[in-house]
Amino acid sequence: MILELKNIEKSFGEKKVLTGVSFTAEGGKAFGLLGRNGAGKTTSIRILMNVFPANSGEVLIDGKPIDYNKVGIGYLPEERGLYPKKKIIEQLTYFAELKGMSKKDAVKAVDYWLGRLGMTEYRNKRLDTLSKGNQQKIQLVTALAHDPDIVILDEPFSGLDPVNAMLLKNIVKEQIEKGKIVLFSSHQMSYIEEFCDSIAIIKDGVIAISGDLHDIKRDYPRDRLLVRTEDTGKIIADFGSVCTKTDGGDLLIRLSDPSEKKAVMTRLVENYDIDEVKVFEPSLNDIFVEYAGDAAKED
Amino acid sequence: MKQFGKILKFELASYVKNKAFVGITLFLVLAITVVMFFPRISTLFREESTDAPSGELAVMLISTDDAAQAEALKTAFAGAFTDYSVQVSTEDLDQIKNKITSGEVECAFVMTSPASFTYYVNNLSMYDVNTEIASEILRQSYQMSFMMGSGMSAEEAAGVMNVQIDGTVENLGKDQMQNFFYTYIMIFALYMVILLYGQMVAMSVATEKSSRAMEVLITSAKPISMMFGKVLASCIAGLVQISAIFGSALLFYNVNKSYWGDNMIIDSIFNIPPELLVYMLVFFLLGFLIYAFLFGAISSTVSKLEDINTAVQPITYLFVFGFIVVMISMSSGDVDSTLMTVCSYIPFTSPMAMFTRIAMSTVAWYEIAASIAILVGSTVAVGILAAKIYRMGVLMYGNAPKLKDVIKMLKKA
Repeated sequence: MILELKNIEKSFGEKKVLTGVSFTAEGGKAFGLLGRNGAGKTTSIRILMNVFPANSGEVLIDGKPIDYNKVGIGYLPEERGLYPKKKIIEQLTYFAELKGMSKKDAVKAVDYWLGRLGMTEYRNKRLDTLSKGNQQKIQLVTALAHDPDIVILDEPFSGLDPVNAMLLKNIVKEQIEKGKIVLFSSHQMSYIEEFCDSIAIIKDGVIAISGDLHDIKRDYPRDRLLVRTEDTGKIIADFGSVCTKTDGGDLLIRLSDPSEKKAVMTRLVENYDIDEVKVFEPSLNDIFVEYAGDAAKED
Repeated sequence: MKQFGKILKFELASYVKNKAFVGITLFLVLAITVVMFFPRISTLFREESTDAPSGELAVMLISTDDAAQAEALKTAFAGAFTDYSVQVSTEDLDQIKNKITSGEVECAFVMTSPASFTYYVNNLSMYDVNTEIASEILRQSYQMSFMMGSGMSAEEAAGVMNVQIDGTVENLGKDQMQNFFYTYIMIFALYMVILLYGQMVAMSVATEKSSRAMEVLITSAKPISMMFGKVLASCIAGLVQISAIFGSALLFYNVNKSYWGDNMIIDSIFNIPPELLVYMLVFFLLGFLIYAFLFGAISSTVSKLEDINTAVQPITYLFVFGFIVVMISMSSGDVDSTLMTVCSYIPFTSPMAMFTRIAMSTVAWYEIAASIAILVGSTVAVGILAAKIYRMGVLMYGNAPKLKDVIKMLKKA
């Protein structure tokens, strides 16, 4: 199954929120939708889920316009919350029923997931008697109980302790293995790097970059060298403004052209005490900072 | 449609499981039952009290200088004041006053002339009508003695005094006096129920929004199913509650009918013509729905529960305006004034205004049909608009929007 957003445009009144947003997510793989706060991630997700229509553009499944009666979508919103005063089993069954399950199937599925998440003992408790992390696990059931084809998880790991994060990781992996489209939205880059094969970064309602994460990394200009050395001071003095220090205490040397690589490497190794020198490969974090916003560093 | 059914069921269940809702309903049913049994219970107590040896009656003194008048007054007063032991006193004023302040005697009439008296009492009760009764007795005895003095026999004089006037009324339209009470009750019930349930719908929407349950709901169900499910559930809950209260009133009234006697007000309340009951139900339902939709839509634009009251104020004002117009017209008796006629076609005031006109005056069938048609059309339109506002509103957080923002939002939706 392939999910495709094509040229989505959306305005709220005068304000244009999305401009020509397109990306493709595949079944059996996880897709990361990244962007700073207010960039348009949630709006894209809501259009994808048909909460409101786009001004123009299409949402396609396998090349055809999506039929919301046939394609199930599970959603864990970033703003968490269910009915605080209602019994957990009652409200989870209700949500599953709203997604089209029969009452019997809904109860069965909810009980399975409560067991899976180790929450069976809270089945008949009111939601507001649970801790925040446990409420979050309960909310996860609303996204998964009806066995959706597309699972959308917005900041799924925030607020979870390491044990619960591990539990969730295993569930996500299992969903991917089942061939589902898993769509992640998160600011925790390490999780995105761990799961997602492809990503899209939205900036101010425009896709800044999208595609396979490895390709993006490889296409990144290979014009910086990462140097681990004892002679930091000496090198900075000799090379001047092309040198910057990384947070880890290493040196980054920007090349005026990638073809200079060999010459500069030789010069470094011959003249200084070098432990290691290699072409700098950006982390997702670096890519995000670069594409998602100029002001990002000041925040 | 399937979704709508599930939402309706879920929302109804929350009313049934709401302890406050069930508690209030039970309390009101119990209260009305007690009221309906009241005459029977009070008869029981009264019977007991007459069986028991009658306690000592309070003493009422009559003091007059004319000994002949004293005996005549004693007979007349004793006949009128059955709660008192009427005695003639020959003591002087100070002694009488002392007896009253000491509590030995409750009150005293001291005659200063055949047509004037002073009434002495220790504490004048709000409900004390003794002076009026005494005045009436004295006036009659004065008139009698005057007529007898001018040559009439006692029988003739009594005949003149007690002449009966026979008159009958043939009403060709509606009897406003008789209809006034149940119209009043119905209008008042409509007023209470709409405001109460409107608030409940508003609270329910705003709670879902502020607890962020809305984030999941809005992606699981269509806004129009959610709006109609919620509003219809509250409508059913309201009808059940009203039926329980009025039903038990009617049931226990009939059980105790003989004890209620011929009270005109009570009688008229429980003898509403059936066609009026049907109109009541129609206007009740439509009025309820149109306002519940408004309450639901407006509350969906609110982010914090505390802001609900401010946000729904315009609706409340609109509603209270209609209520006041109807109430003033009802008490003035002129229910067909221009203002009332106009109000009986405007959808937000017509449930109360048109019903009042039907109940208390004569309205042509086509006027009623037009009013209902406008109301039905507007209710459906408001319902659809409400769902649109709701869809936009529930995803907006921050300050509650002004009315003009809501109208702007409608244009976009």
